[in-house]
Amino acid sequence: MRDHGSKKIFRWVINNIVWIILIVIIVMFSITIPGFVSVGNYINIVYHSVFIGVLAIAVSYCLIGGNLDLSVESMAGFGAIVSAWLCGSSIFASGYQVNPYLGLLIVLGIGALLGSINAFFVLKLNINAFLVTLSTYIIVRGIAVLLTGGQGVSRLPDSFRWIDTIRLLDIPLMVYLMFIFYFVFQFVLRNTRFGRHIYIIGGNPTAAYNFGVNVKGVILRVFILSGMLAGFTGWLIAARTNGATPTSANGFLFETLAAVIIGGVSMTGGVGSLTGVIGGVILMSSIHSAINILAISPFVTEVVRGSLVLIAIVLDSLKRLLK
Amino acid sequence: MDAIEKKIVLKVENVSKNFGSVVALNDVSLDVYEDEVVGLVGDNGAGKSTLIKILSGVFPPDKGNLYLGGKKVHFKSPSDAQNKGVETVYQDLALCGNLDAVANLFIGREVCRNFLGLEILQKAEMDKQAADVLGRIGTNFPSVHEQVEYMSGGQRQAVALGRFVAWGQKLILLDEPTAALGVRETGHVLDLVAKTRKEKGVSMILISHNLQHVFQIADRIVVMRHGEVVGERLRSQTNPDEIVSLITGAVLVSQDLKEEITIANP
Repeated sequence: MRDHGSKKIFRWVINNIVWIILIVIIVMFSITIPGFVSVGNYINIVYHSVFIGVLAIAVSYCLIGGNLDLSVESMAGFGAIVSAWLCGSSIFASGYQVNPYLGLLIVLGIGALLGSINAFFVLKLNINAFLVTLSTYIIVRGIAVLLTGGQGVSRLPDSFRWIDTIRLLDIPLMVYLMFIFYFVFQFVLRNTRFGRHIYIIGGNPTAAYNFGVNVKGVILRVFILSGMLAGFTGWLIAARTNGATPTSANGFLFETLAAVIIGGVSMTGGVGSLTGVIGGVILMSSIHSAINILAISPFVTEVVRGSLVLIAIVLDSLKRLLK
Repeated sequence: MDAIEKKIVLKVENVSKNFGSVVALNDVSLDVYEDEVVGLVGDNGAGKSTLIKILSGVFPPDKGNLYLGGKKVHFKSPSDAQNKGVETVYQDLALCGNLDAVANLFIGREVCRNFLGLEILQKAEMDKQAADVLGRIGTNFPSVHEQVEYMSGGQRQAVALGRFVAWGQKLILLDEPTAALGVRETGHVLDLVAKTRKEKGVSMILISHNLQHVFQIADRIVVMRHGEVVGERLRSQTNPDEIVSLITGAVLVSQDLKEEITIANP
């Protein structure tokens, strides 16, 4: 029985490992790094986690349902350049500007379309999601460069940028928005039929089908949702950076995956929750911040991040060994 | 004749199914009566699983008809079959290890309430119903909210069987329900099958390789070989040796098949 108890404790520790690491790291940084301890810096850490944060919701939904979506990064980049292009200085130098909200709608529509293209290949042609989304990841990035001729767009109207520029209690609105997203999407995941079905499909797709779950419908909706969240992230990027380039969101994929896995979402599907993922997102951003303050070579960042992902994956498989 | 009084729950009429050039089922007909347990036996590849998959809505037959309670049915999907009263217990137990017992019992039939277009899970209601079902099965659970993958074999079995105790209405298909179990768990399953049948008066088809189990709970035994039904026997009028010879094809019985069926349903 004692063995059973210690297993339970170990399981609890592994399930909440991200928060333990986060607390240890923040305490460590706060003690050792001069200038790390300040409300401003803590706000900054969360502020800089917004893009990865929203993308991580998309990737978590896909992974919990048993599919990987690698294309979120370039869908976000595409969303950024398209919304900046539509709502920015001018379209084809015509002097015409699209209303920011119409621009958002268009970007969400593009995201939904790209998501359903991913779903088409996965569901209709039965191709592994990893391979499908790896291809669309590269293709969509290519299209962004192609359409813009490699040119960026800068200077967006204030009516576009308020989500970033307006602050409440010195915190930009998009930070609140991210937390609202986490609350809502976690609620949907845990308390609705749609969310429950995502877990069932990720856990055992055959049982899901046999017992009458609309497997294809749910996976299609997850991919569409993922595309829309990525498009929305692009819109946020354009607002924050006051424009966009075809390479906006470059490198976000790895950071997002790292946050999601450290946050406790299993690569094998069916396991994880957004309450852990938000911890992973803030953890990645904290490490980013520490490296910035210390002015260490950015290449160290990659080593640290990569090692963290490796640790997370090892912990994940340990959890499965403990069954 | 008494045979006319007993109602037919399921009628399988001249069903055929091919996979490419492989004939999985050839002109299979089968009746299951009210409150009857039919044992379906046959060697590997005899077509038992194909038949069960057709009956549970996994795929449709190429030819032939199904009647449930006298009405012709076409199952579009497993959920369609379930809605019409056919519940299936699969040999791999088909559980989601990542979810708890309650969630597993309610896969595909979650109790929800609509709120602003969202289907909100009614967790308290499902907990209540699950406690009732698991109580009837009589297995002890330290917590119904523990993930199924951390449960013992017997507890997992209880969760899998809970589905048919709870939802089986007209017909329950048991596809090798004891294949992966130890002696004690197997006994438990067979007891539960007998108990459920007594309580609910529901008809069942049991597929098993273990003739001892079939003889223990089936009223009638149907033997398949090479995609065809090659014999039907009342349990009281046959013995394992005869069934084995039917399975292996040691005896040819097709000539008096018709007679057998009338005898088989007194």
